[in-house]
Amino acid sequence: MDVRRNQKIAQQVERWDLYARLTPTIFLVGSLFLIIFKIIDFETAFYVGLVGFAFTAVIWWWWAIFTIKYLVIVLNRTSKNLQDTAIEISQISTEIEKIKDDI
Amino acid sequence: MTSNTYGLIKAATNVISGFSMIAIIMLGVAYMSFSNAFVFQDAKIEIVNNPVEQTRDIEFMMIGYKKHECNSTRVYGVAYAEDGSHSHDLDLFTQQYTRNVRPGEEMPNQWHMKVPNDMVEGGVYRVSMTGDFVCNYLIFTQEKSQTYDNILLEVEPR
Repeated sequence: MDVRRNQKIAQQVERWDLYARLTPTIFLVGSLFLIIFKIIDFETAFYVGLVGFAFTAVIWWWWAIFTIKYLVIVLNRTSKNLQDTAIEISQISTEIEKIKDDI
Repeated sequence: MTSNTYGLIKAATNVISGFSMIAIIMLGVAYMSFSNAFVFQDAKIEIVNNPVEQTRDIEFMMIGYKKHECNSTRVYGVAYAEDGSHSHDLDLFTQQYTRNVRPGEEMPNQWHMKVPNDMVEGGVYRVSMTGDFVCNYLIFTQEKSQTYDNILLEVEPR
């Protein structure tokens, strides 16, 4: 379950990375092209950009919050499991020492 | 594609994306600043020959400066009677104002307008002068309108 979700998050990070790398350039070049050929005016491009920026910011914000929450849960669980494992190993060591002494 | 080439492409797209983002933000801020600016800053308009005598035209004087390159497409005034009972359109220039004043230069401007024929009784009026402009700044062009209200006009009976 965790492994599949971790992979999903890794994929989402890759997608965000690609989005961040391509969108500004595509938007800038596309808008300039449309403005130069008078298909839209600068005001339209400005508001489209503003809405896109706001939309991206909101989506990213919630994605970041949920992802961080999930990562903190995973980190806590992992720490707890490691602690349990360390305790168990120390108990096993004690047991082995006892058996050695008995022999 | 080798990992070296992939790394180079990734770095290049990062740099291009960064510059695009900077350009978008700068253009956006410049557009907002341009869009929200008034045509004339620190503007003052007055009628300098109150009360206007029978044979004289209304003489306007203006001081102010333009922030951006703006060209007027239409300038007109409306004289509202002090008691609010009626109004007259002022749109007949007898002396033109200086056009295409350079941005950033505070220069006095003046123009004369004919007293409307139906303003025979004279009286006290409040004039609103309105200018329609086409403004340019960098790659932006926008139509703007600015009104200066409450200019005192006193007209003697004709």
